Amino acid sequence: MSIIDAIKSKAVRSPWLYRINAGSCNGCDVELATTALIPRYDVERLGCKYCGSPKHADIVLITGPVTSMVKEKVLRVYEEIPDPKVTVAVGVCPISGGVFRGSYSVPIMLDDIIPVDVNVPGCPPRPQAILEGVAMALDIWKTRI
Amino acid sequence: MVLSIFKVLWNNLKQGPSTDPFPFGETFTPARLRGKVAVDPEACVGCGVCATVCAGNAIKHVERGDGSGKDFYVWHNTCTFCGLCQHYCPTDAIRLTNNWSTAHRNEDKYKMKEHEFVAYARCPQCDQAMPNMPHAMLDHIYGAPTEELEAIYKLCPECRRQKAAQQFGAQIHD
Ligand code: SF4
Ligand code: SF4
Ligand code: SF4
Repeated sequence: MSIIDAIKSKAVRSPWLYRINAGSCNGCDVELATTALIPRYDVERLGCKYCGSPKHADIVLITGPVTSMVKEKVLRVYEEIPDPKVTVAVGVCPISGGVFRGSYSVPIMLDDIIPVDVNVPGCPPRPQAILEGVAMALDIWKTRI
Repeated sequence: MVLSIFKVLWNNLKQGPSTDPFPFGETFTPARLRGKVAVDPEACVGCGVCATVCAGNAIKHVERGDGSGKDFYVWHNTCTFCGLCQHYCPTDAIRLTNNWSTAHRNEDKYKMKEHEFVAYARCPQCDQAMPNMPHAMLDHIYGAPTEELEAIYKLCPECRRQKAAQQFGAQIHD
């Protein structure tokens, strides 16, 4: 086994999560914080860990309806995440626009500009639903690395 | 003071972990949790109130070309679980279940919907197509409906008017 394979076999078990707020009302971000920080839901049981830099991320969780103002910035941060990566849309906002659909500042859905892998609808989704989505993203992550 | 911390530790040990076992085990779901919307096409009158009040614009009614009824769609990917539809529905035909499991792959994005067919009823006297009139609607309007109402509520507006006039005439005659 080469060194690369050895690293891969370890990395597959511990992807790092990164969060992008694309104009969210913060409802979904609070639920994400809940899954990460509260021992009751503890996302680290799945081997994941939140990180502070896009350069360290493997799975990116995006909340919010991707407003016109924030679109370019989202793309810029997204480009910084090294490949392979898995994208999870959290909340109805990035998936369909949710209650903001049709607004003058919400002209697109997230999957118009970024390849999305998993959707977790809800306004906001409950922590268990987010864990379910992260588990789905983990399965995809295993096939990508 | 020192002893009390041991008490807390001991209690924590006794209680075991407070982490929710999900996704490795079953989680607790409150019965009144607001989750995915479900529609009962038998109880629906097709009034469209739910679509009007829907905060997320998740509900769509589409009239069928042949006049047989309406297609009723709810798209879960824009539903906010607000419960307005359930609150305003006159017959409790639409309600929020406690099913919170919504995560899905992006290729299934547009499959995440409820689709029901709300058929129009037929007047038993003249066979005219008209909105379905479940008994729940009668209860909602009249509380305890009288026998006369029970006899006419399934009729189309025209036949109902005639029948009601006949009933009224018979009462005066008595
Ligand atoms: S889905 Fe709802 S809770 Fe989440 S960011 Fe959008 S509006 Fe806020
Ligand atoms: S579900 Fe209720 S509110 Fe909606 S159309 Fe049917 S009866 Fe009317
Ligand atoms: S719960 Fe709210 S957003 Fe969802 S279908 Fe009902 S009215 Fe629409």
